[in-house]
Amino acid sequence: MKKIPYAISGVLIGFVAVVTLHPAGAPMLTAAKSSTGAGPSRPASVSSSPPQNATGPVGPSAPSSAPSTSSSGSQVGQQSGTSGVTPSSTSTTQASSNQGIRSATGASEQYGYGVISVTVTVDNQRITNVSVANLQVAESYSQSIAQQVIPMLKRQVLAAQSPNINGISGATYTAEAYATSVQSALNKLHFS
Amino acid sequence: MSPAATVTFTPDQRSRQSSGARNVPVPVVAPKKKANVLALVIFIACLGMGATVGLSLISETHSEFVARGGVNMFIGNLTALVGTYLALIMVLVVSRLSFVETVLGQDRLVRLHKTLSPWPISLIALHVFFTTIGYAQAAKTGFWHQFGTFISSFPNMLTATIGFILMMAIAAISIRAIRSRLRRETWWSIHLAMYLALALSFAHIIALGPAFVGHPLARALWIASWLGTAGVVLVYRFLLPVVRSLRYSLKVVEVKQENSEVSSIILKGTNLEKLRFKGGQFFSWRFLAPGIWWQAHPYSLSAMPKPPYLRLTVKNLGDHSGSLGSIKPGTRVLIEGPYGTLTAHSRQRQHALLIAGGIGVTALRALLEELPAKSKPVVIRRVRSQEDLVLKAEVEALIKHRRGNLYELIGSRRHIKFDGPAIQKMVPDILHRDVYICGSQSFVDGIIEIVKDIGVNSDSIHFEAFSI
Repeated sequence: MKKIPYAISGVLIGFVAVVTLHPAGAPMLTAAKSSTGAGPSRPASVSSSPPQNATGPVGPSAPSSAPSTSSSGSQVGQQSGTSGVTPSSTSTTQASSNQGIRSATGASEQYGYGVISVTVTVDNQRITNVSVANLQVAESYSQSIAQQVIPMLKRQVLAAQSPNINGISGATYTAEAYATSVQSALNKLHFS
Repeated sequence: MSPAATVTFTPDQRSRQSSGARNVPVPVVAPKKKANVLALVIFIACLGMGATVGLSLISETHSEFVARGGVNMFIGNLTALVGTYLALIMVLVVSRLSFVETVLGQDRLVRLHKTLSPWPISLIALHVFFTTIGYAQAAKTGFWHQFGTFISSFPNMLTATIGFILMMAIAAISIRAIRSRLRRETWWSIHLAMYLALALSFAHIIALGPAFVGHPLARALWIASWLGTAGVVLVYRFLLPVVRSLRYSLKVVEVKQENSEVSSIILKGTNLEKLRFKGGQFFSWRFLAPGIWWQAHPYSLSAMPKPPYLRLTVKNLGDHSGSLGSIKPGTRVLIEGPYGTLTAHSRQRQHALLIAGGIGVTALRALLEELPAKSKPVVIRRVRSQEDLVLKAEVEALIKHRRGNLYELIGSRRHIKFDGPAIQKMVPDILHRDVYICGSQSFVDGIIEIVKDIGVNSDSIHFEAFSI
């Protein structure tokens, strides 16, 4: 057919236009270079704030992998190497005393669409901050849900001063995983 | 409705009435313009396709791709986007959008729709399979458990699943073996539910599609293109027919039996002088009579309109056309159209060859009326028996007025040789003529092949096939 050149040029121009006009280019093509350091079987994970007081893994429950450093992009599933192992805590307690500002990262909690762990900061007997240590989600939709609800969950924990929060309808699993991770961090801090 | 008896569509009267206008040679449409529009349409369609494939790439990060389930999710996403884009094209192809219709012609568009439709259906089925597998792998669960999770806790997935099941059911009844057992009307009514299936699954694409979550521009364009398509369908397939039907408010005034199987229906309407109809075009007709009001069927006008009258000639082909023979005067008629590119206006050359198979003569009879006097058209009629030569006197008179030649080939296929040499013998100057073909699909296909073998340029071949 005489029209094939039009068809081919149409496909090419459309494709190139979308890929190049997109602000981040094609992440699937371009991000390949930046994350090759982690190796194809060890995808980078989202860490909205890397644990500030990380002193390395501590505690009887040996972690399967250390919290990875931040890198852009969400991630499917769980960290590599956890084959069959139940999610283990990645605790980073600073001190065992009950005074001063201390923080700990709770266990990585799996929920339907990803894995979350949080770092809880305590000043004496007050919970002063909850930050996300690690968030890995199955896909962009779950990512956007998590990003929407995490600030609300944080506010609930700070208000209640406990992980016993109401949760958020529409994000039940995320809220449960978040609360469980908060609880495990508090346990490490011997916070009551 | 006594005036009906006086309505005649005899060509003599017709040509006297407006011979002045008809003697002006029909402007020859530059083939280049038509080809350019076609190229533009193809280019735009493929532009969208390339952009759609691009969308599936920008929506996925490399880490997402290599992680557990990532490959399957990517395939699921790609098949979803490409499949849905093709579905959009399929809707547009049969949307009666006028500028596409005038270039490609409705029968070709419908054929395109038929041949390509299995692709979007299969791709969307693959999308459901791969996306579920991918999510199941990511969440370390089973296929069916994941499927249940989608329906129970993902937004808009319940409606999308219903839409998908509906889509697959409609696809199933369109498989030839099943479709041939259904009445055309039954099939068509069920097939209409495809719009519902597409509408039901639209929301989950926007809410969940990785190419649209967090990509506001892509989302806006996608929504715009679907809303635009819905608008085209609404305007061209619903509003325009309603407006035209109201404007012309057609009613049956007379049914005339042409032979045992063929009848002419004469309609009376208002504002018909404003109807922009070209000889050879057809309408989709809906006769508001008990039992048949819900079916619309395509028939050509068998003569140029003669305000306030129209005439169509119908053969008892299916259930619908059978019951039209006994339709009562006074019945209201809704129309869609005019459609079709089998007109004198698409002519490339000054002379024409018209080939009619059976009842296909109706469209060519109206077209003949639009050919200028002394244009020396050659008309070949191929029929099974003498009785099938409907409108014989009218066709003869029209050809005589234009100094043309008529060949009537009567008999079964075994006795009548209708091949390349036979056509060349009847029409030695065939290469200097536009060839118009109207008849059943198999007749049209066969003749196209023959005249192409003779050497007629495909730009000069115009055809319209009627389906039973």
